[in-house]
Parts: sequence; structure tokens; C-alpha cells
Amino acid sequence: MDFPENLPSSSDIGRLEQIVSHFFPKALHIVLDSRIPSLQSRGRTRDRNLNLKKSDKWFNLIMGDRPAALDKLHSWHRNILDSMIIDIILIRDHDHAETVIERWVVQYENPLIMSPQSSDPCTRYQKVYKKAIILLRSLYAQTRLLPAYRVSRQLSSSLASSGFEMVYKVSSFSPPVTETMTEFRFSPVEVPPGRLCASVTYRSDLSAFNLGAHITLPPRIITDYVGSPATDPMRFFPSPGQSFEATSSFHGRAGRGPPSERPHSWTSGFHRPPTPNQSFSPQFSPDFHCSRTDGGDQHQLSPPFSPSGSPSTPRGSNSPRINVRPGTAPVTIPSSATFNRYVSSNFSEPSRNPLPPFSPKSTRRSPSSQDSLPGIALYKSSRSGESPSGLINHYPAHKLTKESKYDSGRFSGLLSSSGSPRFGFSRSPSRLSSDLEDPDCSCPFDFDDVDESSGGLQYSQSLDRRKTSSSISQSLPIGRKSQDAAVGVLVQMLKTAPPLRQDSSTYMASSMSGVQREGSSVSGTESEFSMARSTSDALEELRNYKQLKDLLLSKSKSVGGATRVH
Amino acid sequence: MNCEVCQLKELEVESFEIREVLRCILHTIVFHRALGLIRPKDIDLELFDITYVQCGEIEVEKKIDETIEHFISWIDKHPNKKSQICVSFYEVKSKQPSWFNNKQRSYWEQWYVNLNVLHQTKSPSHHSKLVMDTGETSEERSSRRTMLEQSLQEVLFQIIKFVNEKKDHVPPINDGVIYCPFEITMPSSSDSTFGMDIFKRMLHSGGHPSMLS
Repeated sequence: MDFPENLPSSSDIGRLEQIVSHFFPKALHIVLDSRIPSLQSRGRTRDRNLNLKKSDKWFNLIMGDRPAALDKLHSWHRNILDSMIIDIILIRDHDHAETVIERWVVQYENPLIMSPQSSDPCTRYQKVYKKAIILLRSLYAQTRLLPAYRVSRQLSSSLASSGFEMVYKVSSFSPPVTETMTEFRFSPVEVPPGRLCASVTYRSDLSAFNLGAHITLPPRIITDYVGSPATDPMRFFPSPGQSFEATSSFHGRAGRGPPSERPHSWTSGFHRPPTPNQSFSPQFSPDFHCSRTDGGDQHQLSPPFSPSGSPSTPRGSNSPRINVRPGTAPVTIPSSATFNRYVSSNFSEPSRNPLPPFSPKSTRRSPSSQDSLPGIALYKSSRSGESPSGLINHYPAHKLTKESKYDSGRFSGLLSSSGSPRFGFSRSPSRLSSDLEDPDCSCPFDFDDVDESSGGLQYSQSLDRRKTSSSISQSLPIGRKSQDAAVGVLVQMLKTAPPLRQDSSTYMASSMSGVQREGSSVSGTESEFSMARSTSDALEELRNYKQLKDLLLSKSKSVGGATRVH
Repeated sequence: MNCEVCQLKELEVESFEIREVLRCILHTIVFHRALGLIRPKDIDLELFDITYVQCGEIEVEKKIDETIEHFISWIDKHPNKKSQICVSFYEVKSKQPSWFNNKQRSYWEQWYVNLNVLHQTKSPSHHSKLVMDTGETSEERSSRRTMLEQSLQEVLFQIIKFVNEKKDHVPPINDGVIYCPFEITMPSSSDSTFGMDIFKRMLHSGGHPSMLS
């Protein structure tokens, strides 16, 4: 053993804390690396284990450079007592039905009462670390065995669209999955004063998804590509009846702003060239084995503990992020079962997700909205073989000019990175770059917005939020609700409003001409039309009066009902 | 120290499947016992829709491949036998760096891989590795292949479960040691020299002084 026996126990405690705090990002890395191609690490095929980052040596499992996305994902998991729930979700293209096919849960259970084991002097951190290493080995092997791995490989390697997309969601709380799933619990590792637990619940049979059938979809135009409600909440949102057609030719798909029904999720802008065999050949030379015998913390049982011995603090901001990757397909998520980020057809809450996806200037997120969502971030995997050009084609012109600054940055970032073995993110003109390990990798996460929100204890707040239902309306703060309700009403009005005068005149003209052909009188049509207009106006007014009346009635009742209002 | 034993589920394999099946199982076992700094390597099987993980150490790969080759040649000489391959992890207690002294070895874990190599009918076209005429129809073969794939997955799950359940007996990891020293033998072999051959090969190829410290 390379550690002296007379280490003070406080140092042990610090090291135990580090084991726990590093366990989460490592597990996250292992799971997402095996499921989401765009998050696969660089540097896995390095010939030598030289210049390894300290973070990569944890648990003696070299995963390669952790993508910045994962670091940002994990950075919100500050409270180690919070669970880390990783959902792997399949989204069907044509109806955007979502199915959770896998859920990984990593948790540090901390009993309130100190268990006798915690006072056991034999519980040295070395033993704990060894067991944690074994646990992660088995977790790694398990990721390769479960059905979602094959699915992910299939989706990433198929040149044609298979009709599905695999996305992931990391949260600290998720409602239980309703489908019948198989559960596997990894044996917990005692890390005093608590224990590290990991489990995976998965659908053992994915044959229902017909993933083997490679259905080639023609490139479709996103007719309702409206951008993010975060940037323009008053933007007109199309009705659910309209088709949200995703272009499959886009590299990662257009997904600036989903319409109100879509979650704020974006596919990654990069997809690695599909490789049929994802084996890595590290090409160790025999003498490499010898070279590790010298040096202290470089290898083996000693985890790369930081000198301070305290849990490593996450960089960057502390909030869930949306991976803003250009070219995400607008996705309709009709069900809000798993996640209250989903916006239903209720247009009054177009901006459920507190993370503004694009513009660093849109500081929509207020602390209240931040709290309304327990730390949830949604990310998407990319699909293969899609070019970035589709996004520009499908983007309505007026919106392009509005956010052209942001868009152009994103597009350029995407285009430039498409060929490189890294995922490309949008270059948001913000202070993100300072948070990135790799300055060349523009990060989609809007740290500036996130930073302004309430700080690190959001997950203790999220614990309170767990009691609230997952429905959107309940989790919104009241003030926001009324504002969004107003927006919704306005949108509803716009939807149901009759055509504008100009259009109406043309309409009238065309209808007139049509009518003339049919032989009806012009004036009759005109009057019918104007009558229709005034009728609808009248109806609207009547509705308003009724509302007023009800309001007054209720108020009068509350004061004692002295006044009767008819 | 108690020696934990894990008996893996028996697999019915054809001779051309042995290599992949054994590689998969043996590497998975060693991966969970390679507790030093490793860079894992994902390997896709060709015959089955399974991906397993190697620890990435070339020495381990060599060892396992040699074992498999020996096993296959033994199977060719002794057809239609149920065979068992034993992977034993040991600790060398002696403080003197001796590199052949099995009395000093303390075995703390043993895995038994049970294989039943299927009977092959003799056909004029002598068996090639890829196409075997075992008298099966193609349907029977594909269903047997599917069963084998499922069984192989079960075996891998078995390994993961066992590795999870029993952790206390794993000895501490020494510096400079990437994987816990192990040997692969065939205890049920009727040919007693087979095991010794393997053993000697292990020592010659894998006997590194630092491993025995």
C-alpha cells in the first residue's frame, strides 16, 4: 500500500467525500458516453496514458476527456445527497412519442443516524475506493450489455433515418416510469457515513420500436419553425394540428426554438462518423507496465485526491442546462408524465423551461422559475448524416434577421466543427468561454443566465418541489402564470381571430369573385362577412362581460353578498 | 482468506464459436479484476450482438488468446466433452520474489466457465471454422444461435452480479499492478499435462517481477 497507516482520520473523511463527489460525474460519463455519440470522449485512443487529467484517473478508469457538456451537466449536482437520475429516452419522429427506455439512478444515501460501521477503523478509504472501482467497472460493463447500447449504436450508425432519436435527461427527481421495466441494483458501497448506491431500470425488450427497419424519410420542411419562446414569448405559435416536420438532412436538425409544445431541447450539432466497431486500441507497450511503479499518486489505488481533501467544487454555474445545439428537430412532446419541462398544448406556458436556450441576453430565468424545476437538463443525441444547411433553409426569414447574430454564431460554430472529432456547439456570444476547458469548443450552455439564478442550494429546494405535482400549472409561480396566461389568451385570440382587413378584403374579393361565379349577390356576401365579423366581436364582448360579472359576483359574495349584480 | 467460487452457467457452443465466447467471458472476468489504471476497450462480437469490455492490457489479451488456442486444440483432440475452464485469482504471500512457487499462492477467487462443445457430424467437407455441418437445419441453427446469445448475456450478467455481491475478499491493489494476477486452467481435463502446460506458459509470458510483489 502506498499510504501510510498513520493517516489522520480527518484526511480519510475528506478522501471519502471526494470519492463520493467524483463518483457521480464518473458514472454520468460512463452512461452517457455509451449512449450518446456526441458525448463520446476525445482521447480514448491515446497511445499513452500521459498527460492524463486528474479527473480521468478517478476510479482507475480512463474514459478520455470528459466533454464540457458533461462537466456542465454535473456541475449542478452540488448536493451529493441528491439523486442523479439519468433517463435515456427514445423519441419517435413522426409523432414525437417519448419512451423512457432506461433509467440510471446514482445516489449517496446518508443515514441520519451514524451507523456503527462509520466508527469502524477498518473502513479505510483505500478499501472503499477499491470497492467503488469495482462498482464502476461493473456499471461500465452493464452499460454495454443493456439493450439501449445496441439501440444507440444502431441509431448512430444508420445512414438513413430509423424514425427514432435517442435523447437523455439528467435530473435529480423524476416521476416513476409507468412501463414495466426490469431493475438491476448494483450492490451499494459503504462510504461512511453513508453508502453509494446505483441502479438501473430498463426495458428489456425494445423490439417494439422497430429500430432495425431503416425507414428512409424524405427531408421535410419545418413549416412552423418559430424559434424559441424564450426570445419572443409573444410569437405566434402554430396549432398542434400543423405538422412539425423535421428535416432529416440536417446535421443534428434545426431546433432553435421549438414551438410551444416542444420542450426546449436541441440535438447536438455533431455526430461522429459512424464506426461499426467501437473498439479502442490503446497500444500499450510492455514497458508501460513498469513505468508506473514510480511516482506517487499517478496510478493504482490512489485516487487523484485534491490536496484540500474537500469535495471538489464544480466549475461554472450551478444550474441545469439545456444543450443548445443547433439544428435540433422541433419535437412535440405531448406527455408531461416524466418531466415538467414539457409544454402541453396550453399555450399559456410557452416557456416552461427556465433555461433560455439561445440568446445570452435573454435573462428570462428568474429565481422563481429556476426553483420551479428541480434540476433538470435535457439533452439530445444527434443523428447521423445530417448537414447543417437545412437549418438556414428552414428558418423563417424575419426571425433570422432578429436573431441573426446568435444564429450566425451558432451556424458557423456548427459548420466549422462538423468535420472534427468533437461535437460542435453554438458559439453564444457570452462569457461561456471562460468556463470551458477547451476554448475552441463553444459551449451551448448559457452560463450567464444560469449564474444569475439562485445558487447552490437549488437542489435542496428541489427536494421541496418534489412534493408538487409534475403538472406545469402547479409548478409555475403565480405571477408567471398570469403573465403566461395572458400570453396564452392573446395567442388564442390570434388563432381564432378572423383575418385582417387587408386579407379580408382580398378574401372578400376572392370570395366575391367566387360568389359571382356562383351567382350570389356581392352585397350579400359582404354583409355576411361583416356580419360574421361583428358577431364574433359581439361574442367576444359578451364573454368579457360575463367574466367581469362573475368576478364581481365572487367579490360581492366575499364581502357579504350585499350587492346583487345581475 | 476465503476463496470465493463462481460457477457460470453452462453454454452449448460449436467449435467455431468457442473463441468468441471464451474471449468474451474471460475478458469480462479479468476486466472486473483489473483494478489498476486501465483504459477500457469495447469489443463487438462478430457472431453475436454483444459488446464486451476488455481491460486493454496487451498481456492479458495475449494470455487469454493463448489459453483459448490451447483449449481449442484440446477440444479438437477430445471432442464431445463437457469442459470447464477455471480462472483463478491469487495472491502471492511470500515476500521473496519467487516466480514459481505455487505453494505460496493464495487463491482468493475462482471462476468456472462451463462449456459443452456440441457434437459435430462428420461430413465429407471437413469442418471449417465458419461453416459447420452439424446436421442442423438453418432454422435450428439460428434458434440455437439466438439461445446461445441469450445464454452468453446471462453469463455476463452473472459475472456482473457476482462481482457486485462479493467485494470484501478482493485483496488490496498493489502499486504497479494493473490486474490481479490470475491463471487459467482446465481442472476437469483428462489430460493432466494440459493444465501444467498452460501454467508454464503463464509464467513465461506473464511472470513479471512486479506482479509478484
